Amino acid sequence: MRMIVVLLLGVTASLAGGSSAVAADESAAASFQRKCSVCHTIGDGKRVGPDLQGVADRRPQEWLVRWIMRPDQMLAEKDPVAAQLLAESNQIAMPNLGVTEPEAKALIEYIRVEGAAKPPAAATEMPPRVYPEPSLGVVQRIALVLFLALSAAITVVFCWVALSTRTPQALDVTEAYRLRKVFFFIAVGGLLVAFAASVTKTPYTEARARSDRIVYVAARQFDFIFSLEPIVSVADLATVPVVKQLELPVGAAVEFRVTSLDVNHNFALYGPQRRLLAQTQAMPGYVNRLRVRLVTPGRYEVLCLEYCGAGHHLMQTELNVR
Amino acid sequence: MRQNGANVLWWWIAVVALLFPILIVLGIYMRMVQSGELTGLQSWFYPVMTLHGLGMVGLWFTAPMACMSDALQRYVKPSGAVAWFALGGTVLGVVLLLVCVFLGRFAAGWYFLYPLPLMGGWPKWSTVLFLIALTVLGVTWLIWCLDLLRAIAQRYSLSHALAWHYLVGRTEPEVPPLVLIATVSLIAAVACLVAAVIVVVLFSADAFGGIKSDSLLMKNVTFFFGHVIVNLSMYVGASVTYEVLPSFAGRPWKTNRIVALSWNAVLIIVFFAYFHHLYMDFAQPETVQYIGQIASYVSSIPAAVVTIFGALMLIYRSSMRWNLASILFFLGLAGWAIGGVGAVIDSTITVNAVFHNTLWVPAHFHTYMLMGLALMTLGYFYHYCQAAAAQPENRASLWLVVSLMLIGGYGFLLMFYLAGAYSVPRRYAIYPAEVSQGAGYAGAAAVFAAAFLLGFILYLVHTWKRWARALSVSS
Repeated sequence: MRMIVVLLLGVTASLAGGSSAVAADESAAASFQRKCSVCHTIGDGKRVGPDLQGVADRRPQEWLVRWIMRPDQMLAEKDPVAAQLLAESNQIAMPNLGVTEPEAKALIEYIRVEGAAKPPAAATEMPPRVYPEPSLGVVQRIALVLFLALSAAITVVFCWVALSTRTPQALDVTEAYRLRKVFFFIAVGGLLVAFAASVTKTPYTEARARSDRIVYVAARQFDFIFSLEPIVSVADLATVPVVKQLELPVGAAVEFRVTSLDVNHNFALYGPQRRLLAQTQAMPGYVNRLRVRLVTPGRYEVLCLEYCGAGHHLMQTELNVR
Repeated sequence: MRQNGANVLWWWIAVVALLFPILIVLGIYMRMVQSGELTGLQSWFYPVMTLHGLGMVGLWFTAPMACMSDALQRYVKPSGAVAWFALGGTVLGVVLLLVCVFLGRFAAGWYFLYPLPLMGGWPKWSTVLFLIALTVLGVTWLIWCLDLLRAIAQRYSLSHALAWHYLVGRTEPEVPPLVLIATVSLIAAVACLVAAVIVVVLFSADAFGGIKSDSLLMKNVTFFFGHVIVNLSMYVGASVTYEVLPSFAGRPWKTNRIVALSWNAVLIIVFFAYFHHLYMDFAQPETVQYIGQIASYVSSIPAAVVTIFGALMLIYRSSMRWNLASILFFLGLAGWAIGGVGAVIDSTITVNAVFHNTLWVPAHFHTYMLMGLALMTLGYFYHYCQAAAAQPENRASLWLVVSLMLIGGYGFLLMFYLAGAYSVPRRYAIYPAEVSQGAGYAGAAAVFAAAFLLGFILYLVHTWKRWARALSVSS
């Protein structure tokens, strides 16, 4: 199995490089994963909210505890730091998550220890990525050419009819009805051909084929979570091992089993050529099975294509095919 | 027979003259944010997107309805009081929407998929106000539709109104296409507004009683409402085209067996085509997905082969009197045809797998809404004002209006189509690096949309003179 899995276990601290403090406090790690990681990272950069690495050193403990417990109240009181964070987060307010004081203190400690175990963000900063010129896929190209050709034909016909009114004469209704009959058969014939040509290779027929890998995907505002076991509720985040960096072998037929933990989302897979390859909806209470054969090596992006709230455009993740 | 509620159309014209440019400006704002301009105002993108969508869908349902209601007065007697009630209820609904978007930052999008309105992060009161606004609009429009159906039923039996006697070869009593299409559209409208009521009730059950609904069921009901109301708005626009265009072409355009057959088929098909919105919901039964593709394909036949072909037959080599109204009707039919092609392509499941929720989607629905339905409705407005004011028409300025609208409109749409083909998602305030090509298309689209807006303002100047004169004469 070539799948390289980095497990971010809520119950272990292997990622923290032997951080015994985190290992000792399983519930803080689980709490962070469940309540904070949607919007924040520790040392992996800004998401909807700021990167929390070093936050325990930058802000007083009391302020942090209160902010974690009652962000709505602090915003209502127009706390200057809270107001600044709101502005920096594109007016997406930190929600009140019902965190108790002991839980808030444990979270701060967890963030402090996790942050200290990682190198500073600047040290891990990647060089700017180079993106290839976007290109059209086969289906997209056919659709665009067909659309432009038919639109041009419609334009020509309308111009011809408009110009014909310069030389009025009585309409030969019989001829017009004959022409309509021809048009009817051409239209029906064209649609039948299109149906027959397209219906044999739909995402539903694909989903029935055998897969080499199964990857579970749980979507939530504004994050995708990969795992090797199903995550069907927020509570599962504390117990199910999640895959932080997903790598898949070239040529593998992968079945993504996609669900949502909150609102409707979408799981859209963009290939290395920046083209949309396949997609399915992520729906609360349902699992959609999307089967894709990953033939091209490289980095694939996953975007959410179903509007899901203020951070919709920030909801993305990636996987690598090698 | 024309008197009941006749002058309410003057005020619908004023409402469109006020709201349409504002909603266009909101659309230009959105494209400018996406292009990387106006980043300081980016946090308003999703509330504005919600208002733009709701506003445009509502406006282009009610404005053609007002035209159809006016045109129907040649044959039947709708209630004048209900016509005013419809205007008042719509304005009240719009005010409530403005409050929940601008004060409550409500931003669930125009089709507000469950349970996003309850989990979007905006205050709960704005969601409640949104549900109230929907209720006000839904009830108002339902009463309006029922009154128009009542008026039709007073003169025509159901079988006559649906022209069933034409199907068996009888042509008496004569049923104008307007009455047939109005009946089909109003029956569909009642069904979709009932679906809207169900959606509001189920949302309220969750908001106030914590009773959860099934997300797939809610999606089906929501799209049934959303798809049907947009689709039938187009049919309402077609109904007034059937009524008005013959007076310019100098030829009759009457109901016959083919017209009756096609519009009765539309009444069935319109309820099933909405499945294409759920192609990417693989949990939906597979058979239903194929029914969606077949219904979407079949729905194009009556529109293309009967209505649009019929209109071209009507105009071909006729003594067509071209003025702003007839040109806008003609261009509206072309926009409907081109948008229909984009829609049929997207309704192919295999294509939808790579086009769903990309900018191809707003591309095709903006084509038939903006360059189809809106132009037809503006044509009717101008026709109505010009008929009452009888003022001389300036051909040079007419062509300026039309050119700006055509170049601006189709340039704006082309940016959507190209971006959609290049996989740029719709409804993104900012494009991530992977789809950053969307920013360039958005910037160009904003410029083209501004040209369309300029054309519309010139149209308003033309129409306004006639509107004011006709109103002063009638008063």
